[in-house]
Amino acid sequence: MIEEFTKGRVMETGEDVKMIENLKREWEEECLKPALAHKPESRDNFLTDIGLPINPVYTPLDLSEIEFDYKKDLGFPGQHPFTRGISPLTYRNERWIVRAYSGFGEPESCNERYKRLVQWGVDEIVMAVDLPTQVGYDSDHIMAKGEVGKVGVAIDSLRDMEILFKDIPLNKLKRVSMLGNSFGPIALSLFIALGEKQGLKPSDFVVDLQNDVLKEYVARGTYIFPIRPALRVAADVVGYCAHNIPHWYPLTFCANHINAAGAGSSKATAFALANGICYINYLLDKGYQIDEIAPLFTMFLDERADFFVAICNFRAARRIWAKILKERLKAQNPESMALKITAYSHGGETLLEPVNNIVRITLAALAYVLGGVQFLFNASYDEVLGTPTEDAAKIAIRIQQILAHELGFTSTADPLGGSYFIETLTTQIERQIYEEFSKVEAIGGAISAIEKGYYARHITDGAFRRQKEFEQGGRVAIGVNKYRTESKIPLGAFRIDPRIEAKQVERLKGVKKERNQNAVRDTLEYVREVAKGDGNLVPPVLEAVRAYATVGEICDVLREVFGEYQAREYFVSKG
Amino acid sequence: MKQKPRVLIGKVGLDGHDVGARVIARALADAGIEVIYTGLRQTPAQIVKAAIEEGVDMIGISILSGSHMTLLPEIIRLLNQYKANDIQCIAGGIIPAEDIRVLKQMGVNEIFPPETPTSEIIDFVRNLIEGP
Repeated sequence: MIEEFTKGRVMETGEDVKMIENLKREWEEECLKPALAHKPESRDNFLTDIGLPINPVYTPLDLSEIEFDYKKDLGFPGQHPFTRGISPLTYRNERWIVRAYSGFGEPESCNERYKRLVQWGVDEIVMAVDLPTQVGYDSDHIMAKGEVGKVGVAIDSLRDMEILFKDIPLNKLKRVSMLGNSFGPIALSLFIALGEKQGLKPSDFVVDLQNDVLKEYVARGTYIFPIRPALRVAADVVGYCAHNIPHWYPLTFCANHINAAGAGSSKATAFALANGICYINYLLDKGYQIDEIAPLFTMFLDERADFFVAICNFRAARRIWAKILKERLKAQNPESMALKITAYSHGGETLLEPVNNIVRITLAALAYVLGGVQFLFNASYDEVLGTPTEDAAKIAIRIQQILAHELGFTSTADPLGGSYFIETLTTQIERQIYEEFSKVEAIGGAISAIEKGYYARHITDGAFRRQKEFEQGGRVAIGVNKYRTESKIPLGAFRIDPRIEAKQVERLKGVKKERNQNAVRDTLEYVREVAKGDGNLVPPVLEAVRAYATVGEICDVLREVFGEYQAREYFVSKG
Repeated sequence: MKQKPRVLIGKVGLDGHDVGARVIARALADAGIEVIYTGLRQTPAQIVKAAIEEGVDMIGISILSGSHMTLLPEIIRLLNQYKANDIQCIAGGIIPAEDIRVLKQMGVNEIFPPETPTSEIIDFVRNLIEGP
């Protein structure tokens, strides 16, 4: 019977299961128990960050327990439910997109770094823009003081984009992106207009945007408008692209920041799915068809505490997405059901002995590759100190290139598929995600979950739990709470020249002086008019961007129409 | 009887990453300290005003956006301007070692880098407010 089984049968017959149960019982008595008596396990439990315990060993019994069904649960890569990946050849004909998240200072100096990234062979530059840009303030705004060019490059107008991408035609990259979440129409328009300046049509290059504003209200915090108008601002970009530029990726709904903030990857995936469905429902209500919008979405997943959970999280998310799109949203096009995944390799980096972070980032990236990622970016090992230095940024890219081209990681689809452990964990995680997703649906969906503080409560509880585990030693950081030898914070953080704020403000003044003032006034009025109605915001914003209206000016008009989000976070807790 | 220690935890500037601030707020509260959390996007002036109005013993600022060399000195300057120097000031976040020295000279009592156990921060706060 063992022979039969090893010949490749996947589902065990009742008789096989009984046989393996007997073998397992024998093993427990004769092997496991004596081993435990000789030396107990090194930890009280082997609990993952998502609360699932990991067993000492997995067998066909576990597959039987989850009622594993090859056809229903896996199928083939490129086929429903896409557990094994979204394309038949996975990386054999096209490896994932190597992204670099980069941006600092003002556009001129940042352009130098971008040119270097292109030289090193990145496929995509993801513009990191500074916080004033992300929340719609120009560099001369009072709230921008001290923040200009700090966490990203300062972008006030189309002029800054022209400088930033000087000698880097947008079609030289496989994709280009800007990380902003509250001003999607402006980000999209800046790329369209920059393309025009470079003599390119939108059909000549590819843009993707994060543009996921819903999670900003619970993690990350770069909101501008109240939630409902903000949802429209984000969704309009998807609607515009669906009808005009369907090969762009206008919205990436994110589990990453929700997990980083504390939720744990299963809840974060569930919350992000609920957010994604919220954008989709908004667009369906507007009259779009599911199959014209769904393929434009991508999902940003994240698990940073367990290598195998990361792999299974991706597989589970693909399976859930495929089922929801097919069964609930009645998609017909397989592309709508195939979840494209973005990931960012980071998480456990430490401030002490930061070079060790190269290892952590490499392993995180490997998990995402084994999970079947489409778009990948790596943290730089020194990011915990500040903006990445050039050497560190280069290593982040080289790690991906090594994984892609050395050591055989890309030779076959879903290389861990079929493992008792991986399949069991994938199904357990799928059930966890689905349960959490259903709870959000039960309380009224994403917007209710934000407004009622449901997401926030889970995030804060999780963050506190993680901190406790770290302090009690259950969460190990080598060189920090185990095998610690260093105590001093390393020197040598990358410095942003403090003079750039003044330089950027000067440039902004120059742009405002040179441009056609009538065109600016008229286009801003057009933005206001459309914002007051229910038309798509992209066409008027594009006109304003072309006229060199600034990010701050456009957002001010929208703030006047929509109002501003007022967070109700102030609290006093009695000790 | 001496009043319970009161601490204001604040996010200053545009930085939206508030995991650290929330975790510290809860840890201090669990340790019997009264905590006021301001929420995101406060200006230095709003922080100092809230600290004076709430009568806190200490301000704790979380900052990860790199704008600490503008915003923290401004808080210290305003505390001095309003003669509120009895309010202590600590900070945590991504702050390079070179800047920590300068900020401490300016009057920030202590700066806690990432990976600091909350117990260490609680002890520091208690010692500073209640004396050793």
